[in-house]
Order: sequence, then C-alpha cells, then structure tokens
Amino acid sequence: MSHLPASPLRPALDLHALVAGYEPDLPIVRGIDLVVPEGDFVVLLGPNGAGKSTLVKAIAGVVPIHAGAVLLAGQDITSVPSHRKIARGLAFVPQTENIFATLSIHENLQLAAAILPKADRAGRIDGLYRRFPDLARQPSRMAGALSGGQRQMLAVARALIVDPSVLILDEPSAGLSPKIVGEVFAMLQDINADGVTIVLVEQNVKAALAIARRAVVLVEGRIRHEGPADGLFGDPLLARLYLGGSHAGESGAP
Amino acid sequence: MNPQFLMDGLIAGAMIGLGAIGVTLTYSILRFANFGHGELLSWGAYLALAVSGGLGLVSASLTRPIGPFSFGWSLPLAAIVAILLTGLLALAVDAVLFGRLRARASAVIILVMASFGASLALRSLLEFLFTSKPVYFTKALQIAMPVGAGLRATPDQLLSLGVGLLAVLAVHLLMTRTDIGRSMRAVSENPALAGIAGVDVRRVIRVVWMLGAGLACLAGIMTGLLVQIRPYLGHDLLLPLFAAAILGGIGSVPGAMLAGLIVGLSEAAAVQLVGAEWRAAVSFVILVAVLLIRPRGLFGRSA
Repeated sequence: MSHLPASPLRPALDLHALVAGYEPDLPIVRGIDLVVPEGDFVVLLGPNGAGKSTLVKAIAGVVPIHAGAVLLAGQDITSVPSHRKIARGLAFVPQTENIFATLSIHENLQLAAAILPKADRAGRIDGLYRRFPDLARQPSRMAGALSGGQRQMLAVARALIVDPSVLILDEPSAGLSPKIVGEVFAMLQDINADGVTIVLVEQNVKAALAIARRAVVLVEGRIRHEGPADGLFGDPLLARLYLGGSHAGESGAP
Repeated sequence: MNPQFLMDGLIAGAMIGLGAIGVTLTYSILRFANFGHGELLSWGAYLALAVSGGLGLVSASLTRPIGPFSFGWSLPLAAIVAILLTGLLALAVDAVLFGRLRARASAVIILVMASFGASLALRSLLEFLFTSKPVYFTKALQIAMPVGAGLRATPDQLLSLGVGLLAVLAVHLLMTRTDIGRSMRAVSENPALAGIAGVDVRRVIRVVWMLGAGLACLAGIMTGLLVQIRPYLGHDLLLPLFAAAILGGIGSVPGAMLAGLIVGLSEAAAVQLVGAEWRAAVSFVILVAVLLIRPRGLFGRSA
C-alpha cells in the first residue's frame, strides 16, 4: 500500500488502518491508510462496491468504525459522534437525501447554523446567500421543491455554514445533467481555492480528475493506487484497476 | 338535536387533541406507535392528585377555590410539578426499555409490542398504588352557565378549553419558530442527516418525550378535573388519541389538535344521534375511514 509523498503542509485528515462497515464481521473498508494535507483536493475513485461511500460515511460517523483511527488536524475524532464532527470542522454531504425536504431553504440553513454562537448565525447565512444567489432568491421555498442542482447547492451551503476545514462529498454529480455537474464542480473548485480541503467520491471519473489534485483508487475496500489526478484519465492503469478488480493492483493481489 | 353537543364535543376534543400531539410526535420522531401513551395521561392525573393533596396538607388555604373554579391554587401548582414528573417518567421508561431496543436497532413491531407491555405495567402499578376506585381533584359541584347560542359550560370546562388551545399554540410556535422545533422536524424527516447537520438526535428524543408526556399530563389532569380519575383514564382514550393523530396527519401538531376536536365533536354528536353506547365506535370508524381514504391524514406529508 503506497502513501502520498510527504507534504510540507500539515495533514488535514489522517486515516490509520481504518476498518469499517455496517456489520463488525463484514468489513467493507478493510484497512485504509491515507493522509490528506491541508488544502488538498482528493478524489476517491474505484469500481462499484469498492467501499468509497462506506469510507466517507465512516469518516463522517454514519457507518461504524471497527478498527483504526481518524484524525482531523491531528486530533483523534474516531469515536466522536457525527453531530459533534461538524463543530470540529468536518462537513459531510451525503449522496442522496442530503437536504431536509420538509424544511424551507432558510430553515435548512438555520438548522445547520444552530451550532454557531447566536450572534454569528445571521451573518454566516447572509454570507452563504451571497455565495449562492439562487438560494437567496427564494429563502422560504420548501427544499423538497428544488431542482437537482439547487438541492446540491443547498446541501453544500448547509455543509459550509460552519466554515469547515474539511469538506467530504459523496457523488455530488449523481443524477445531475452535465451542465449542472459543471456548475457544481466549479463551485467545489472555488471552495477549495478558499482553503477548504476537499475529499470527493465520484463515479464521473473524467470530470472529477479534471478538478481534483490527487486521486486515490479503492478496490475491494483497500487502496490500490494513489497519485496526482493529472494524466490518470488516459492511463491504462486506471482501466486495469476498474476492470481487473483485486488482480490489478501494484501492491499484489490477495 | 341539542346544540350542547358542540360544547361537550369541543371540551372532550381539546383533551383528545392534547394527548394526540404526544402520539403524533413520538410516532413521527421515534418512528413507532406508542400504545403506552395513554398511561402517561393517567399517571399525569394521579401525580397531580398526589402533589395537590400534599400541598393541601401543607397549607389548607391552597385548597380554597380560586374565583369561579372548583379548585384552589394547589392544583395549578401541582400541575406544574406533575408535568415535570410525567416527563421524567417517560424518560425513565425510554431509558430502561425503548432506548435499549433502539440501540439494538430493533424492528418497529418489537417497539410497539414493548409499548403494550409498558402500558400494562404502568397501569397495573397505578392500580396497585391508588386502587381502581375513582377519585376526584375536588368534590365541589359546579353549575354550568350559559355562554351564548344556547350552550352551557362550567368555568372549569371553559378554563380547560382555553388552557388546551394555549398549549397547542405554544407547541406549534415551538415547532416552527425555535431551534429545538426545527431540530425535531429535521429528526422526524431524516435522523442520520440531522446528525450530520449537527443536531444531537438523542437530545431531541429526550425533548420529544418530555413534551409529549407533559401534554399527556395536562390532558390527564383536565380529564380528571372534568370527569374523574381512574387508572383506565388514559387507556380508554387510546383509540380516540390514535384516531386524532392519524386523522391530523402523523407529525402535524395543528393537525392533531384539529383532528382531536373533530373526534370529540363526532363522539358527542354520536351520543345524541345514535346513543351513548356508540361513542367508542366513532373513533374506530374515523380511524378506518382515514386509513382507507386518505392515509396521510389532513396535514400529513405523503410517503
């Protein structure tokens, strides 16, 4: 298993021998070591069932971790419950059902802002409305009535409300038209440019590699490849990893 | 048809509505039908009776009737204490029973069956402590006075109606205007996402129990004040409570209250039209009709 080269930057997120899954005797993530430096933009790739979603859900505290550790800016957050992780600066946007459909846009943001000191809440929400003018136009609209792209904007705005240091997204392009995917990915690049470390799970390999700095390929719950995102798309290695399953990695097949 | 059924129905409906709010909140946030909710009404009434009796022993002046009402200051003071105690009772039942089942990710049917068990145990404990003989907050007799349009009501009945409506308004504002209310609605829609968004789901569950049990206590005290206190007080209201919660739409506080009033009025109308022995059948007919025609109720969201 390879490691990312040593970075002069502090690690924002650090995974040590992480084992996770819904059932203790059926781990889906099977021993992952990964260091994500501050300000990095990492895309997690891999065939269906590789454990990408389970990995990010485990980091977010939604799926149980059975062994190993998750460190956020050097602090162990392995057993911190999910509702406290956001206050520590780790924000997660799930793939589906990532907004509260029965709450208005404004209520979705107010809900997320509730962990901030009272005096800061309105200012933070206003700041997000400036960033996402589409949401500002109709704050009292029920979130369930929004289009797919607007829902993703709201889900990301909700995650950004605490000014997170790390933003993790699980397939934000799922179900969106190519044009909207472009808008969502451009938004992620802007957020990353502001210094937020991003970890992105994507099936849309080409588009994801175009915006990410690094790529990590998972196969059967283990890391099979880590390296720069640039140039990976045309590399036959990627096709072998996707098609060959466990027999394709450089670190030897089990 | 005597128009008095309107007043009787509204008063019974307010009590049903208050109880139904607790049912609808537990159903939508904890995701199971709590058949032990009726017992919280009974326990609320008996706890208020015990505290009020204790206060009466401390100072006899506390039992002197306030203005036109049949009870003294001991009852409103006891109500505040009993609301807190009933909330703590619900938290205790959750800690020893429902919370453990949730932690094991038990199926809904197991939680429902457990609620039947809790109901039986709580009711038997009440009978053991207080016997099954009916008791009263006060023995004072009240004369119903005309309130217009040919309707009559006692001061206690009018007060109960007013307190009930105020309580519903307060809960509605809590749900729609406050952080905890938004958190409750969020947990009701998607508990996992609520956690990710920073909501402490376990705290929300505690608040739901306290709120539901507090309103149940209030409904129990009103029933006790206007009718009588018996260990079966809450159990006998269970079907109307569920009929109102489902007619109002699971999760809707104003829906539960409005549906409570509808159930209360329908029962009162049935008593006049077809006879008192059919009163209990009304809730059942409403429940079946709603489930067949409009399962999401008046204000519930579609599945």
